[in-house]
Order: sequence, then structure tokens, then C-alpha cells
Amino acid sequence: MKNTFVKKGLVGLVSTALVAAFAVTTPSVAQAADLTCTTSSTKVETCKGTDGDGAKFEIRVPANFNGTLYVYAHGIRYNVNLPAIPVVAPAGSVINYAPEVAPTELVATALLKQGYALAGSGVRAQGWSLEEGTDAFLQVLQAAKDRYPKVSKVVAWGNSLGGLTAQAFAEQYSGAVDAVLPMCIADSAQAEITMAGDFLWGMKTFFNPAIKGTGYSAGMTGYLEMLGDLGTVLTTLQALQAAITANPTQPVWPATSTVPATLKAIPVRSAILLLGLVSGISTQSKTYDSSSGPAGALETTFGVAISPALAVLENGAEAAALAVLANYDMELRAGGVVYDNSKTNFAARLGDDSEAFAAALSGVTATTGMVGYLQLVAPKVTANPVAVAKLNSMYQLQGKIAVPTITLAAASDHITPGGAVTHLVNQYNAAISSGAATSGKLLNIWNKPAETYSTFAATGAGVTPATTPNGVGHCNYTTSQVLAVAKLAATAAKTGKLPSTATAKAAIKNEKNLFIDPNFMPPLLKFRQ
Amino acid sequence: MIRNTRTKRVSIASALIAAGAMVLSTVPAQATETTGVTATTIKLGISSPKTGSAGLVYGKVPGAMKAYFDYINANGGVNGRKISLVSYDDKYVPTLAATQTTKLVLDDKVFALVGALGTATHSKAYTAAALAKNNVPDLFVNTGFSGFANKAKYPTTFTILPSYAMEAKIMAKFIKDNPALAPQASFLIAQDDEFGIDGVGGFKTAGHTFAAAPTLYPQGALTAALAEGALTSLSAVPGKPVLVLFGTTDSTATILKAAEKLSLTNKFTFIAGSVGGDANTLLALGVKSTTVDGIIAASFFPDAKDATDAYVKQFMAINMSYNKGVTFDNTVLQGMNSAMLTVQALRAAGKNLTRSGVIKAIESKGSTFASAGLAPLNYSATSRVGYNGYWFGQLNAKGELKPFGGKVSLYTTDSTSGAVTASTYVRKTIPKNGIPNN
Repeated sequence: MKNTFVKKGLVGLVSTALVAAFAVTTPSVAQAADLTCTTSSTKVETCKGTDGDGAKFEIRVPANFNGTLYVYAHGIRYNVNLPAIPVVAPAGSVINYAPEVAPTELVATALLKQGYALAGSGVRAQGWSLEEGTDAFLQVLQAAKDRYPKVSKVVAWGNSLGGLTAQAFAEQYSGAVDAVLPMCIADSAQAEITMAGDFLWGMKTFFNPAIKGTGYSAGMTGYLEMLGDLGTVLTTLQALQAAITANPTQPVWPATSTVPATLKAIPVRSAILLLGLVSGISTQSKTYDSSSGPAGALETTFGVAISPALAVLENGAEAAALAVLANYDMELRAGGVVYDNSKTNFAARLGDDSEAFAAALSGVTATTGMVGYLQLVAPKVTANPVAVAKLNSMYQLQGKIAVPTITLAAASDHITPGGAVTHLVNQYNAAISSGAATSGKLLNIWNKPAETYSTFAATGAGVTPATTPNGVGHCNYTTSQVLAVAKLAATAAKTGKLPSTATAKAAIKNEKNLFIDPNFMPPLLKFRQ
Repeated sequence: MIRNTRTKRVSIASALIAAGAMVLSTVPAQATETTGVTATTIKLGISSPKTGSAGLVYGKVPGAMKAYFDYINANGGVNGRKISLVSYDDKYVPTLAATQTTKLVLDDKVFALVGALGTATHSKAYTAAALAKNNVPDLFVNTGFSGFANKAKYPTTFTILPSYAMEAKIMAKFIKDNPALAPQASFLIAQDDEFGIDGVGGFKTAGHTFAAAPTLYPQGALTAALAEGALTSLSAVPGKPVLVLFGTTDSTATILKAAEKLSLTNKFTFIAGSVGGDANTLLALGVKSTTVDGIIAASFFPDAKDATDAYVKQFMAINMSYNKGVTFDNTVLQGMNSAMLTVQALRAAGKNLTRSGVIKAIESKGSTFASAGLAPLNYSATSRVGYNGYWFGQLNAKGELKPFGGKVSLYTTDSTSGAVTASTYVRKTIPKNGIPNN
């Protein structure tokens, strides 16, 4: 089954490409028999199938299909079953292999209505499944082209790890797609695990040494260690939250902390913020904009000194939980510890943020003390070099961009910071310099939050909104924003050209939080600095 | 995880599909040198605190600048162009300053930024708004942080205040040369950030030795209890110790009110740095006029209440007509002076106004601009720091700063190891009607 599928698929893809290249109509029938297709009342044909690796995929084609197909790569999913765990999996979760054809059903419906076809795979493995993702991407693309010869243009897109998958696919299969739209693109496995892992290690170091963090055992023992870590991380975060709620200006350290008394004299909010800054966790979160404060005497102090720490705490809850799950997943994949901070220079990591957040960090003296403890006192983690090598054997972006590529990202994304786009830009510029890519193929569109968005209860506590404000959070775009950018990508696929900056700006003019500035480059992830 | 079929897939797919993929496309346009400039207008922007604790001190700056620009506009503008000023409140919060500055550059498309305020706020804003990459002139920033003088890091920035290191060096010289102060034990209470650290470094460079290690506090974290504790511990020091306050005005007020509470106002000779010695704000924050009376403070401006000063007189008149209802004070003087410097910079750049042109104009001619400051301007191809000197005075109960010893004695120096010297600098005469003619 597998070999046959691959062979048929390649033939189909090649045939379609030849059709496109030479304008010769050659019908392809490969793979049609493997699909189960139904047509909805809205005249959308949905075909479901299983690729040669066992991954489920789905293709949706409207009756008014215009020839452009979007192939979507989904973001990272848990690679283990989880019992009910607050924040991480409130209702518990089982590994999800379902295909996704778009970021949301609303987006899918809108694009289908406009005559676009959609396809996506569930991918045969979850976790950091970049390799499996690109394989699955190729196979669903093949299946779609086989089934629908009318496909003339292909847009590769994806969210988060899926954004990286789409970009990696486009670089590896040059010409297989006509445009790329990586959204909230993830950086490499090592860059991402360094960010989340740094925060997790910091939590262990500052607040609770019971957190294991890395070096999970094999088999069921390791699984239980991982689950135990999730619980420990969450209870530690809750203790920190409670401390700040009780006394926002001078919150105390959790009882589980074993740092020296001199450090505990520093408000623990400053330690939380420091961990966020050295890790690269955004200082703007769902509830806290790092700018506002409750009306009254604390207003300015809250915005300057308290809000950034609370934002890091809120973002860090997800980052730390993800670090546990990702470390566990990557260690299983690579066969050893992949997180490493044995050579980290924490002062360099902090950089200019020591100036910008001087007040929130409780001054230079406190900052020096905390950084010194991390650098000189705390035990570090050294990775297994073989495991790291295996992790890095996965495709690393080269910037070999051959087709119009439009990124959509937010600098404040706390899981995949905008610095991942900066890395792509750097790689692209290097590829241009070396002759591996041509200029004028990459356009970056940014999302930002409103100037202020925090609201406060009469008690002065921040009010967490029901939905995350646009511009913060992970891959948090409105349907309208995604559609505006997707349309730009489809047009670019048709013309083979990026839209001009003026055209792109006009296309997003109604999306008030989106902007284009060729000179706006968020800082690289800390791993790359 | 790489399977055997992978290489095959790549090679086949790549070989057969890549043909024809190379298509010329447009390159995203870069920000232009003339963004914010039309044949008839120049759009400028400012992000500064208008509300919050810092707004209490500096909230009048944008209004004062706008008033001066309106005055210039009413008198023909700059090379036929009228100046508009877009102003946002950043509350002295770094993240908000970054957001507002980005908004000025991206949404409002200002030609240049003027009069931004604060070290933490502006260092974050500068990077976030990509001011260097966009080559946005960043004019007359109100901070003494010596880091902004790093042209490689802040290639478009010109600060206006003397550096905090300069201020500390000059303050050390003032104490040393004053027979009443020199024999006394001296102590320093300073903000524990780049502001205070610059100051500590300046005193050290000047060879000044404090009687104890500085009392350092994070910005905004100097509580009444901390201030009372510091003063109580110093109250046993014999004589009349010199207490140098190197922080913002609200911190100065906290310390002075602590002294009032402890009946120690006469125990110390208080010397307030330029950032923390604004009498109007001290009085507004509840410090008694009798406590303010006698405080030594540093300044590079004439006293804003001195209507005999030609610049002050002219700015007062402009304020009366274009900033109605706003009391003229040191902050208004500061804002109007920065606006006057801005107009001269725009004029010096010529009719074909460009961002690079303005930066070059300040480098080459900025030291010759007319200014209310009593200290020289220090701009050059290698210096991005504005004023480089201070004089000392004593506040009276009305909040007026009267020259110490009866006449203004100006000292100048640099941010590094250069000597502190008495200066005979005489500023340029104010242009006719306060309208630059450079």
C-alpha cells in the first residue's frame, strides 16, 4: 500500500507539473479509488483518505473551484494521551490524528465559498513531527492533484509548527507549490525548546527544585515523571500567582524555593520577569498589556513594574507546560536530553532589557544578584550531543525561497515569537548572497495588539477576557486577517510575484492591527542571539 | 525519521517542477527619506508622559512644543512648511512608549521624533520602532543616560540633557569647591538603574568619596518607610551632612516629606539633581515651601520665573498666546526650547528636507543653534549629547532657583574623565521675536 501510493503519487505530481509546464492536458486518475468522497448541500466535495504512511488526510473542493488549492499544515499536537490537567488539557486528551484543512472552520468555509480548494493531513505522528509533516504534506498534495486535475496553483500554508512545515516543504520541494504562507512560524526544534526550556529550568532553579524538567526515564516511568512535572509546574505557578495577588508590589517567594535569603528579599515578580526576559517569553499576555494599571495610586507602578511580570507568568504557564511536553517528546525522539544551558550567558540574554525593565526588575543590584545566581550558582543542564545531533538532523530552514512567500506573525506571540521570522529573513538574505535564492520573494506582515487592552476590576485585579485580544497569544488572528493575507498569497501564486508593498498595505488596510514595515525585525529567539 | 523514499522524492519532485519557477517580483519599498514631509507640511511626533506620576512633572512638554510650533507656523513655518505635532501619552511606561512610538512611525508616518523622555522608555521604544533602520531622526531626547551617546547603537538620536555622569562630576566639583559643604560628610540616595549608576560612576570619576555606600532604590519603589529609614540612620552623623538626591522629583518629594515627618529638614543640606529638583512639582506633591526653601539644585536653564531673561520672556509671551491657560514653568521652558532647537535643525537641513539631512545638519551646525540654555550645546559628528554644563542655585520658598553665591557660575565637563572647568560661555542672543533665522 505504502510503496504503491508513493509511486502513484509521485507520478501524479510529476504529471500535473508537466501539465502546468507544457500546457498539455493529461488526465490523471491515480489514487482516486483510495478516496472516500461525499458532496455537501453547499456543493463542496469532501474527499477523505489515508496516505502511504497511514496519515489521514482530507480534501475539500467547491463546485466553483477556481484552480487554486491551499494545502494546510497543522500546528504541534500532544504526542501523548493526557488525563485531565488544568491549563494543559482541562478535559484530558488523546492523541489527535485528525486532518485539518485550514486554521479554523470559519476560514475554511470562507475560502471554499470563494472557490478555493483546501487540503490537509492529520500527519501520522504528533509532537515535533516536522519530518512526518512534510511527508504528509507531499502526499496530500499528490492526492489532491491526482483527484483534481484542475488544480493549477498551490499555496502551502500552516500555523506554528505547521508554518515551519509549509516553509520547509517549499524549500525542499522547490516548485511544488506556487506560494507559501507560513503563519506564526515556529523556529527550529532546538531554538524553540531552548526558549521554553529556559523558562522551565528557571522555574525549577528559582521556585521549585522538585521540577525534573529534563532527562525523563524510558517507558511508563518517564511518562509518569512527565505527568508529575506538569502537576508540579502548575502548582508552582499557582503559588506565584497567589503571592502576587496577595501583595502585588512585594510578593513573596513560594515556600518550595530554595534560593538564598538575599534573593528572596527581591519581590518574586522581578524573578518571574527576569526568567521571561532571559528566555524570550513575551511580556504581553492575554490579560496584561505591560502598560496599563488599575486607576489609582498604583496605576503607573502597575504598568511599569507589575504588569510585565504578570504577563510573563500568564504566558509562562503555557510555555512551561509546553516545555515539559516538548522535552519529553523530543527526548523520546532523539534518544536523550536535548535541552542545554551549560554555555548560556544570562547577562547577555538579558541585554538591553535590563535598562527597559530596570524598575520591574527591582533595580540593577537585584538584577545583578539574580543573574549571578543563575550564572554562577545554579546547576546547569548539559544535553546529550548525539541526541542534539539527531534533533538537528531534521530539516533546518535555508532561506531558499523560490516562490512568493508571505509570513504572518506577531512579535508578542509567546510560543512562536516573531523572531522566528527574523531568522527566516536572515536565512533568505544569506541565500540571496550565495545565489541560492533570488530577491523580492519574501513579504512579512505583522500583527500587533492595541496600545492598551488590560482591564481591571474594582479590586485592582486584572480581568482575564473571554477571548485573547488580537495581537497577543499564540497564532491569534481573526478570520478576517487570515482571509486578507490568504488572498494575497493566492494572488501571488497566480502571478508568481509578491504584491507590491503598496498593494499589500491596501489589502490589509481594514485590519487595524496588521502592519507592514520592511525594517521591523523582532529580536531573534535567544538561542540564536 | 528520514525514510529512504525521501531522497528520491526530493530529487524527482525538484527536477521536474522547478522549471519556470523563477519569476521576477517587486522588492518591498523601504521607508523614504522624506516620509512625513510634503510641500507644505512637516509632521513630527512625540511619545512622552502626559498622565501618571511622571506626567505630573513632564506633562506640559508636548503642549509647550506644539505652542511654539504653532507660533512658528503663524510666522511662515519652516521654509514654507507648517509643522504639525502628533502627541501620545506613554505614561512613562516602557512598553507603552514602544507601542506609541511604533504607532508614530508606522501609522502616523512622522518625519521625526522630538522630545521623547526617559531612559527605560526610550531605549525600549527606539528598538521596537526600528528607528535606526528607518533612519528616523530622534531629536532632543530628555534623558541624561550616557548610553544614548553611543552613535553606533543609536545613530539617529540626539539627547538634550547633559549626561548624568556629567552632572555628577559637576556636582562633586561644586561640593568640593564650597567651603560650607566640603568638610561635611556626604551621602547619596539614587535610583538603582542606568540613571543612578551613571551618577554613581560620575562621582567616582570625579574622585568624590561618599561617607557610606549609596542608598539605591528601584524607580518608583522609594517608599516613605524606606526614606524615613535612610534619614533616621543618617541623623546621627555629626554636623550638617550633605545629602545628594539623584532620582526623579517624586522620589525627592518622598525624601523631603520624610525629613519633615522626622523633623530633620534642617539636619541636612539637600542637593537635588536636575531631574529631581523641580520646585513646582515638589510643592505640588505636598512638600512644604519652608522645606523647599534652601534646597540646592542644578540647572542648565535660566529660572523659568526670571522674566528678565530674554528667552524666558519670549517663551512666556508665546505661552500666553498659544498655550492658553497653562502656567509657564520650567517644563514649558524646556518644551519650547526643544521646539526652537527643532525648528533650527529643520531650517539647517534646507528646503530639500530629508531625514539624513536633519541628522547631518545637527552634527555640523547644532552647536551653533540659539538656545535658552546657559550651557553650551555639544553636538558634533562625534557627540550626540546636547548641553554639557550646569550651574547651581538654591530654591527659595516660592520655588525660584536663585544662583548660589548671587551669580550664575557655570561648570562644564564631559561624560568620561575630562576635567570639570568653570565656563565663561555666553549663549547666543535670542533671534528676533524668538523666530530662528539660521
